[in-house]
This record gives sequence, structure tokens and C-alpha cells, in this order.
Amino acid sequence: MTSDAATATSTTRTSPRPEGTGPGPDVEPPSRGLGASLPQTDARAKTEGTFPYAADLWAEGLLWAAVLRSPHAHARILSIDPSAAAAMPGVRAVVTHQDIPGDSMYGRSVVDRPVFASDLVRHHGEAIAAVAADHPDTARLAAAAIAVEYEVLEPVTDPEKAFAAEPLHPDGNLIRHIPLRYGDPEAVGEVIVEGLYRIGRQDPAPIGAEAGLAVPRPDGGVELYTASTDPHTDRDLAAACFGLDAERVKVVVTGVPGATGDREDPGFQIPLGLLALRTGCPVKLAATREESFLGHAHRHPTLLRYRHHADTEGRLVKVEAQILLDAGAYADASSESLAAAVAFACGPYVVPHAFIEGWVVRTNNPPSGHVRGEGAMQVCAAYEGQMDKLAAKLGLDPAELRLRNALSTGDILPTSQTVTCPAPVAELLQAVRDVPLPALPKDAPEDDWLLPGGPEGAGEPGAVRRGVGYALGMVHMLGAEGADEVSTATVRVHDGVATVICAAVETGQGFTTLARQIVQETLGIEEVHVAAVDTDQPPAGPATHGRHTWVSGGAVERAAKMVRTQLLQPLAHKFGMSTELLQIADGKITSYDGVLSTTVMEAMDGKELWATAQCRPHPTEPLDESGQGDAFVGLAFCAIRAVVDVDIEIGSVRVVDMAVAQDVGRVLNPSQLATRIEAGVTQGIGAALTENLRTARGLIRHPDLTGYALPTALDAPDIRIVKLVEERDVVAPFGAKAASAVPVVTSPAAVAAAVRAATGRPVNRLPIRPQAAVATPRP
Amino acid sequence: MTTHAPQAMQSVTLPSSLDEAVAALGAMPAAVPVAGGTDLMAAVNKGLLRPSGLVGLSRISELRGWHYQDGHALLGAGLTHARMGRPDFAALIPALAASARAAGPPQIRNAGTLGGNIATAAPTGDALPVLAALEAELVIAGPGGARREIPVSHLLAGREMLEPAELIGFVRVPLLHAPQVFLKATGRTGPGRATASVAIVLDPARRGVRCAVGAIAPMPLRPLEAEHWIASLIDWDGERGLAPDALAAFGEYVAAACIPDQAPPDDGGEAPPLSPAVLHLRRTVAALARRALGRALS
Repeated sequence: MTSDAATATSTTRTSPRPEGTGPGPDVEPPSRGLGASLPQTDARAKTEGTFPYAADLWAEGLLWAAVLRSPHAHARILSIDPSAAAAMPGVRAVVTHQDIPGDSMYGRSVVDRPVFASDLVRHHGEAIAAVAADHPDTARLAAAAIAVEYEVLEPVTDPEKAFAAEPLHPDGNLIRHIPLRYGDPEAVGEVIVEGLYRIGRQDPAPIGAEAGLAVPRPDGGVELYTASTDPHTDRDLAAACFGLDAERVKVVVTGVPGATGDREDPGFQIPLGLLALRTGCPVKLAATREESFLGHAHRHPTLLRYRHHADTEGRLVKVEAQILLDAGAYADASSESLAAAVAFACGPYVVPHAFIEGWVVRTNNPPSGHVRGEGAMQVCAAYEGQMDKLAAKLGLDPAELRLRNALSTGDILPTSQTVTCPAPVAELLQAVRDVPLPALPKDAPEDDWLLPGGPEGAGEPGAVRRGVGYALGMVHMLGAEGADEVSTATVRVHDGVATVICAAVETGQGFTTLARQIVQETLGIEEVHVAAVDTDQPPAGPATHGRHTWVSGGAVERAAKMVRTQLLQPLAHKFGMSTELLQIADGKITSYDGVLSTTVMEAMDGKELWATAQCRPHPTEPLDESGQGDAFVGLAFCAIRAVVDVDIEIGSVRVVDMAVAQDVGRVLNPSQLATRIEAGVTQGIGAALTENLRTARGLIRHPDLTGYALPTALDAPDIRIVKLVEERDVVAPFGAKAASAVPVVTSPAAVAAAVRAATGRPVNRLPIRPQAAVATPRP
Repeated sequence: MTTHAPQAMQSVTLPSSLDEAVAALGAMPAAVPVAGGTDLMAAVNKGLLRPSGLVGLSRISELRGWHYQDGHALLGAGLTHARMGRPDFAALIPALAASARAAGPPQIRNAGTLGGNIATAAPTGDALPVLAALEAELVIAGPGGARREIPVSHLLAGREMLEPAELIGFVRVPLLHAPQVFLKATGRTGPGRATASVAIVLDPARRGVRCAVGAIAPMPLRPLEAEHWIASLIDWDGERGLAPDALAAFGEYVAAACIPDQAPPDDGGEAPPLSPAVLHLRRTVAALARRALGRALS
């Protein structure tokens, strides 16, 4: 599910102004600066289809690349013979593992992944060779003409069997094990519920498939034009494989066509760069939808076994859980995903005793990696399933049971980290519980009802049951466990125009808009430009975990403040007052008492002002051998009430309404925030109902958008943002929290809870299969 | 040497009559006819197909409408789903109109055609169970103005095939002047491929009920015994209604006929049970058939 697609489905709806989104109807909302609904500058071009993405790039004399991918999930490569391909007319270069000048392996946190498979293929779609030719079809035909002899091996596709299986990789099959121990193992509750939960493989399915253009440089280096979301890391990994200094490789970030996970990972960029270096010509790669599904990382399929202990009042006593993440063949970001899964295994609830075993293992399934809300989303579906079970067993209202256990500021997580940030969990839940339920359509003519199955579907009112379910979710913000989170930004002001230079990639999350608002707010300058991103700029880190709102936004603010000081210092000195007593608004500088007044242009006096600043939040520490430690910089929370209609004979589900209350710290751009929440909820609905990249013996069965069903406009329900709690997080710049990930984490669990309520079935598997949503009609 | 030139060489013919199209295909046997292109062009884009020539059928105006012939409608193969979905068409052949409206998102319905749906013969083709229930006949155009007719079920079952340089010209469908229903189950609320579909057609003149089930087998299935049985229960001269129990029994009958139990092993003993997914499919077919008949008789 891509953010762009989700956004498109939801822009036509107008939600009533949620509580806490800035000024009420009497006060005019600001038109610039923080709190304004500034539109994205490229929105029009994107809507009209004129915005250039990497697939639109062109260079004189360019060659086309094609990648040969493994048709097997697990096989030994006996020989690779590229001679037939190399001899084809129009083919300019063929590269295999023998043609890599530098490191033959790469990886973000663990270097365990070959650029091209040499002796073993470990997953369906693993790259084996790449071809550059003068026509895309020639390149594809040539890639197909590379003769590879395989000895097909039995794939390990069941993560539970990975522990005992022959090692699939020299590093072994166990990537990480976290045995979290917190409290008294002997503690027992009076009421115990158990459950087994399975979460499927969600694909980020970006609306634009991977594409890139590599251009060789006269100095022997190469420039990669691609929609990377972490350009500096990608550059470093690619340079190491090219055997070049990092300075001789430049990644230029193009428009990003949807990114809810990592994009254009080095697996796409390295073959492209190798071919450009080998041929001396620009080389372009535009992946087909099938290659996109085969090549990029997916959400970790997860198996979870839970036992919740509670007292007779419904207060949680102990949570025991076993969590098994399927990483696929390579480690990628799996270690971080596991840390999030284990740390948030109990959810935003106070749990005195917790014993969580988490493993992430290698299999021959498609590779898993970073997808928004990873780790946290899978456990949310499970612990919320447990809370529903517990409520049923105790005869309590599910919302009431959750309220009795809700976490708040000052409570301690099972990792022993104290929650120091705002954690208005109970307030969020009360907000979604108290908002009126959507009306039944019984007064409207029957033809107008939108029943499960769609407008021309088979739905029959008599077989439809409505269900209401609640879920609470939490995610961490920024990299965890000691990751060095730092971003650098430069602000330049000249001629009354400000420019922001920061390597934070605009993925559709709205960073460039936010950067403009920050500079408008700090410097009172209306016209702000944000420069395009490349790796000649200082690093800003990956566009994940809401870090650019926090870290890069913080860096932009500091740089803008430094420019402000440079601008005001001479004036302040002249008038004998400190710069704090001067205000900038609407291009005018005025003193606190209104005596002094001048324009920004006059104060600038033709000068050009530059400042560069960094933002580095407080450090975190890795989880220790019993899963304890202050691993997270910040936390964000969300409550969702889902209302679904289920056709209980056919098992089709339609989500009718999602009421969302979210802890956002501070609203920086109301319309952008609403869009992010709607997009996240919709991505979560996909994970709950339809999105599962199915495999058979490790082979992806339907790598296309017909077989992999994303939510459409008809699947996206009314998403009502009923409350945004603006309790500022004092350690975050502006007090704002990241908003995109936590709805993705929470909404699948809410949909599952509602289907559970409608059908009385356990619903312990996501996406929810129709056969799990059928029930016997009540007489 | 560059490979640009040979790749670019593709002949595209745009005939304006059915016989010209047949002649163009005869002149270049490797050419592929294309109407809406919703399946063909997807295969081309995927690199699965690289036809050396195309014969475009979109300019043949005689195929884009319909006319009447002895109590039948002769539907042009170039009728789009969008056209068939409109109310005037729905008044003639309601089930075909319903299947056309369910056939995908508007972009697909605007381009995809009736003939293309038949020629592609995808198991999930939404028009196919309706045509099977209507016992439609295909009018096949051949070289030299030749015309022959074959039942749609023969083509779908592979009993009779299109010869080289033949095109589906028209589809002959009886005008029954009675209720017809098409229902499909999909994985999502938005447009999607059918997991199962059912077409029910009433034929009061012959006192018959005809039913076809789509998407669960390579071709639409007709539960003939269930059709005869339920037709015998209907009071054709009176209210035509049936008790809920009879409708439910019909659904079960259709589902069991189309998704039979597994055969017991040769050495005797219990037949292996159906998997939960297949059982759910059977339940879905039963519900669709019951609802469809109920709506047709109400």
C-alpha cells in the first residue's frame, strides 16, 4: 500500500474538524508557518501526471539494464554461462558475481547479502546477473539467454523449522533472539487466556515501481539518479561494491513514487552502477511490477503465541509470548523489527510481569525488511486479540478492559524503560469510544447501501452483521537501540528568499512542506525553497520512523534560528536590546515595544546569510541479554474504533467507519496530518483484509496487482479523526510526534476486533480470510 | 549493431469491416487481433507476448452494437462492458448487463469487450457464466465472407476451436423477457476478480431455469440436474415464488454438483475430506445460487 494511493482515495472526504486541530471556527487558521495547512508544492504536478519520476529520466545514448533473477527459492548454482547473452547484437555488457570490483556482499546492518548470487540462491527473485543493451527488450532477452545450471534444493519455508534446518547462510539461520525477562516468572493470574496468531506478508507495493539511471563520471566515478529513501547509506554500500571511494559515487534523489518501506535499495542500484562503470554509458533500469514484487523487502510474516494472565477485575498480571519473525534469506532490518516486536509485545498497557521470547530466522521465503510500523504492527494484532479474549472471558466490555490497563506517562515498559513522553492512552480510547456510531443505512433505499462485496456484489442485507472493535497501538520514533540519529540542515537567505538544503528525502510524508513552514515561522520569510537532495549534502539519514519530522525538522529549525540571530544581532546591538526582544513577522522586524520597526530586506542590506546546524536527539542503548534497556527515543500512541459489516455466509467484510484518536504532540500542518493518518489507516485495512503476498514453496505466486489486492477507494471507509491529543513532547523539536506509522500498526487489530465482534469467530490470522469470517446465522 | 530497428517493426492494421479484418488476418497469419487490449496489452507489457503484427478491431462499427433476429439479439463482439452495463441493454439481457457492470474498474469496462472476454476465456471472465446460462451461440466469421455458428460452451470447453483467420463476429443471445441475475463474490469491496460467480436465467416459455457457475473451474459449469429439479417445483403459471427451504436446497444442490466430494479411494474406505478453503468455496457457491434464484423469483 502506498501513501500516494491511499491519499488519493481519501482526499474527497471532508472530516469534521477534529478536536484539538488548532483554532476553532472563530479564529482564522494561519496561512503560513507552523499550524498552517500549507499544500505540498508538487501536489498539482503529481496529480496531473507531469511530475518527473526516475522512470521518466533520459540521457543521450543511454543503455537499458535488465536483471536475471532466480526462478528457484533455494538452489545451488553449478555454472553461469553468459556467452550467449554477451554475443547477442545490441548487448553491451553482462555482469555476474565475477565482475564486481569491490565487496561482493552488502547489507544495511549485517553484511550478509551477495550483490549477485554466486554459488547459492536463497530466495525467489535473487539477482544472479545483469545485462546492459541498447533496447529494453534486447536487455530482457539477453538476461533470459544467460545459461544458469541449478541444482534445485529443498527450500526451508516454515520459520519454525528454520531452527533445526541446515544453515541457509554461513551466518546461521538465527538472526537474533531476544529473551525479554521482566518481573516475577512465578506470577500467575486468576484468569488466563491463550492464543496463536499469524500475520501475513504485506508488501509496500509502491505505486511507482523501482527505477534508476546511472551516469558514469569522467573521473571514473558514477552518479545514481534514483528514488532512494536513505541516499547516504545507499551510496556507501554501493561505493564499497564498486571498489570506489564514497566521494566518487553520488546518489541524486529523484521524485519518490510512494515509499512506505525502503525504496530502491542497493540491490537495484549496485547492478545499475556496475553496468554504467563497465560500459562507460548511462544505463537505465525500470523494473516491471513483477520484478518490483520479487526484488524489494516485505513486512515480516510473523507467528505469535500468547498467554495473558489477569486478575478477576481484568487487570493484567503477566504476559507470556513467543514471537517468531520470518526474515527471508537475509538479515536487512530484521534485528530492529524484532526489537520493536519484543518491546511492544504487551502493547500500551501496564504489565507488571512480562516474559517475551522473540526470534527472527532465515528462510527461503521472500526477503523481509523495513515496512512502516514493522514489528509493532504484528504484535498489536496479537495482543489486541488477547485483550478481546480476556474481555469475553471476564464478561467485560472490551473498551472498559483496555481502560483498566491503559499505560500513561511515568509507567514502565517491559524493557524497564520509563515512559517519559506524553502517553494519553486512556484519553485516546475514551475519545473513540464516546463518538457516536455511524447510523445504519436502514432509512436509505436498499439500492444505495454499500454492502460487503461492493456495489454490484452479492451482498444481501439479511446476511450482514455489523461489528464494533477497538484497538490501541504504539510505535517508537527514530532509530532504536543506540542508532546514531543525526541530521544536518543548511538555511540560506538572500534577497528575501530562503533556501533549505537538507538531505532528508521527501517521500510524500511532507518534509519539504514542513521545512518551508519552519523557516516561515522562524524567519518570517514567505518564499522558501527546498533544494533537491543528493549525497554531496551532509547526511540526514533514512526517511523512516518519523525521523525527518523530528531530527531533520529540528536541524532546519536550528539553522533558521542561527540565521535569525545573524540577521537580528546588528539591530539588537544598535538598539541595545537582546535579539529575543525582536520579532519577525510578515517580512517586518519589530521590537517588543513596537518602537523599532524595519523590514527584513532593509536589515539584510543585500547580504547573504548562511547557517548550518545539526540535530541529534538523546542517545539510546541496545536491549541487553534479557531484553532490558532504554532503547527508544520517543513513543507515539493511537486508538481506533472500527465498525465493519460482514456478510456472514460468504465471509466478505467491508470496513464502514474508522474513528481515530491519535497522540501527535503538536499539529504542524493539519491537512497533511489528516492525510497521513488516513493513508496509514488504509494501509492497515489492506493488511487486515486483502494484502498478503502468497508463496508456495518459497515461490511468489502472483507478483502482480491483480493477485495482490490493494484497498481501492471503495474499500477505504469513512476515516474520522475524532481527536488529536496535542500534549507536547518536550524532548522533540516543536513537541511534535511522528504520525504516519502508528495508524498502520493499530488499524489491522481494530478491524480484526470488529470482525470478531460481528461473527463471534476468533479471527487470529491476518489478512482475515473469508472462511474465518463466516458464522451461523442467528435464528 | 543496434537492435532498435527490428524491435520497432510491427505492423498494425485497422480494418473497418469484419471481412476486411478476416482478410487482414489471412494475409498475415502471425498477426494477433486486438479489441480492448485489456488482457493482450498487459501480456505485451509484461514481455510475455511480442506479436509481430496487430489487427485492431476497434474501428469495425458493425461489431460495436447489436440487432435483433427472430427473438434473439445478435450482439457485436466489440460491445464494451461499459456499453452493456447501460440501462437500455440491461432491459434486454439483465444478467449480461450485471456481469458487465461488475467486470472491473471503469477503465477496464470502457475498453474491454464481449468478444475479448470470450476469446481470452479466463476462468474469471464475468460474461462467461451468463453466456453459458443463456446458451449463447457464437457467429464466427471466416475467410471469403464465410459464417458458421458454434455454441459458446463448445468454444470454452475446447470442443470446437477458432480456425486460423477466424474471428468471433457476433454472439446470438435469446431474448427471454424474464428475470435474470448475475452475482459474484470477490475478495474486496472494490472491483476484483471473482472467486465464484453464479448466473441464473429464467425461461418461462420453456418452463426452464438455467444456471451456470463461473470462476471455480476452467470454464463455466452447468448443474443440469439441479436446474431440472428446481424448474419442476416452480409454479410457472402462478406466483413463481419458492419457499426459503427450496431455495436453500437448490443452492446446496448446485454447490455439491459443481464442487463434488472427493471420490473414495479404490481400496474402499472413507473419501478424503475437502480442504477448508474448498468447503468455503462450496458454501459461497451455495449462498450465491440461493440468493440469485431468490432474486430472480422475487
